[in-house]
Amino acid sequence: MSVRSLPATPAGRLQPRAGGERAGDRYGDDPAWRWATLAPSLAIMLALSVLPLLNLFWLSFNNVTWSGGVATWTPVGLTHYKAVFSDALFRAGVWNTTVFALGAVTGQMILGFVMALYCSRIQRGRVLYRALFILPILIPGIVVGAIWKLMLNYDFGLANQALGLVGIEPVDWLGANETALLSVILVDIWHWTPFCFLLFLAGLESMPRDVYEAAHMDGASGWQELLHVTLPMMLPTIMVTFAFRIVLAFKVFDEVYLLTGGGPGTATEVVSFTLYQRFFTEDRVGYGAAMSIIVIFLVSVLLVLALSARRRSETGP
Amino acid sequence: MSTRSKRGWTRRSAMTAMSAAAFMSSTRLGWAAAKVAPITIVINQSPWFDSFRKTVELYEQESGNKVELDVNPFAGSLEKQRNSVRASKGQYDLLIMNSGWFAEMYFGGFVEAITDIEPGFKLDPDVYTLGDTIYFDPAKKTMTPAGKLMSMPISPLIPMLYYRGDLYKEAGLKAPDTFAELEANARKFHAPPKMYGIVQRGARGPHTVAYDFYPYLYGFGGGIFKDQAAADYSITLNDEKGKAALDYYIRLAREAGHPKTASLDQAEVIQNIVTGKTAHMITVIAAWSQMDDPTKSVVVDKIEFAPPPHVPGVPTAPGLGHWLGGISKNVPNDRKRATVEFLRWFQTKDAQVAATKAGGIPINAAAYRDPVADERKYRWMKPLAEALKHSVNIYQFPEASEVIAVLELGLNRAIAGEITSTVALNSMADEINGIMAKYNYKTGKLEPLK
Repeated sequence: MSVRSLPATPAGRLQPRAGGERAGDRYGDDPAWRWATLAPSLAIMLALSVLPLLNLFWLSFNNVTWSGGVATWTPVGLTHYKAVFSDALFRAGVWNTTVFALGAVTGQMILGFVMALYCSRIQRGRVLYRALFILPILIPGIVVGAIWKLMLNYDFGLANQALGLVGIEPVDWLGANETALLSVILVDIWHWTPFCFLLFLAGLESMPRDVYEAAHMDGASGWQELLHVTLPMMLPTIMVTFAFRIVLAFKVFDEVYLLTGGGPGTATEVVSFTLYQRFFTEDRVGYGAAMSIIVIFLVSVLLVLALSARRRSETGP
Repeated sequence: MSTRSKRGWTRRSAMTAMSAAAFMSSTRLGWAAAKVAPITIVINQSPWFDSFRKTVELYEQESGNKVELDVNPFAGSLEKQRNSVRASKGQYDLLIMNSGWFAEMYFGGFVEAITDIEPGFKLDPDVYTLGDTIYFDPAKKTMTPAGKLMSMPISPLIPMLYYRGDLYKEAGLKAPDTFAELEANARKFHAPPKMYGIVQRGARGPHTVAYDFYPYLYGFGGGIFKDQAAADYSITLNDEKGKAALDYYIRLAREAGHPKTASLDQAEVIQNIVTGKTAHMITVIAAWSQMDDPTKSVVVDKIEFAPPPHVPGVPTAPGLGHWLGGISKNVPNDRKRATVEFLRWFQTKDAQVAATKAGGIPINAAAYRDPVADERKYRWMKPLAEALKHSVNIYQFPEASEVIAVLELGLNRAIAGEITSTVALNSMADEINGIMAKYNYKTGKLEPLK
């Protein structure tokens, strides 16, 4: 009898056969078969992710120069790594990126949650609201930069013209140290809140209604429902959304590149922008590779922290 | 001609075709070029690009040869060029190289001398050599006419002083020759927020505030290096002349300029002059065509042009921000020869007059002597011809981008008031000295400014 003909249970597991023999053992226990089936996926993964990473890692210990159409690799040991930590632009970038990521993601999470909550509770115009709320995420980053650069222009921008109508002096949104990073954060909140909104809305709409009915019967108020039912049950979704957004926010580039170019001074310098300058503009590929490895490490640490927080939230105290 | 642009051309294709047809029918050069292989040119999307495209279309019509243009943003063009020249077989035949990176292509051996491809090639004696940057001696690593002819000027861009001729006429003033005159005139017209005396670029970018600071630095008799031609890269940026230049730039911005100079980029500077909000700007000459375009400008026919000012005893010193065309070494020989044919045509007076009429900046001095230069529309040509004689090649080494990055940050911080001019100059000098030492150039630095 062929074990492959056994039907799967709803949970997806194969039923054990009489005598203790499990279906699928013939192939599942065969290491050669297991490796043979895994090999194509492994090969593709190696080719597309691990090998480039290894190449980047190796590059970070070398200087590369091109002359006469030939690339020359010169080993320099840990020189680049030492230099990265004394690079004032990189240090400013790490600080600004941290402030940016925390500020932007916090704003997006709160706004996205409020919008999702609103959308999940209304009956009329739900589709219209959803369409309106997700519009910003559909706009390419380069267009977002162009739109907001015009809106925040000191002389001709819509923001300052609006302020002028109520007698307030124009603000140099993108050119003053005090407002530049805040402006970029606000633009990012505008751009990416729909992402949080969509994930939260999916989470809210998949929540069991009977829990709410029970809370309602117990006389819970709207706030109590939110604090003691919705938020605890949404915690895994919130953590996943936070993990996604914090990683993406740490890699911010296009908005900074288009709006401020890292300025004024280093007020909006972010790590991806520093990396771009060192790697591409200045063509220091070895140094840029070392900086990339450090950034990858930092983002990985963030991801691990966020995922472990999610696991803790799922398992509870 | 076909183009591959990220921005695309479909939107204006009908109008472009009509204007190109009109331009071509009005400009017959009587040129008979050899039939050669199709070539591909990698170029950036700049204000002067449209004139180059029209000039290339004219070449195609005259010669019957095919040219493909690959159009990119500034930084994207450099990346594509690097990728192409570092591959075993190049994708692009003609590289349109900016003053910020042509040295990288020369020193790296990525472009082939025109005279090595066609030993009989003669450079038109009226073509501007732009600080001799079209020549390179691979053995001595110097740019002098003793070297080989490596490239052809494509657009001889330098900054020029744009000023409101109508206001000057009313006030009975003459074009400023010195920095003192510029400052006095800027103060006279300064009535913010309606009118700024001058609007300067102060934002940090790929080559932004530094490029606009060069005419001040060199016009004050200063410089970044002691003597590049003699391979002496000792840093002189933080001498008294450099300090005077930066102090002047900042003073002009604060007392007769835009209140947010530190955040202004080129588009915003130009926006200020075409909306009638400033009496002066010192900006690359490529912006001239926007001044008289009634769809973009409220100051049509009111802007005049002059070489950038200087201090007495020092000539005007606009920094070169030019574009050169170099032929890739790693492309087939027939395409190299085809590219030489294009350049042979492009350098002629007739082609350059046609380029001027299409909105370009001619590379041939004879075009500036043509009657076209007397037309009101082309009133910038004579002052430009005067200024080009004094243009300064700021960098003669391939690692210039690292130095530019240092200048961009330091100058922006000084203009924003984050640090003083003294601190900015000393710290920039330190960093540049470190860069030059890292690449084993002969360098050194002055005592820090007090």
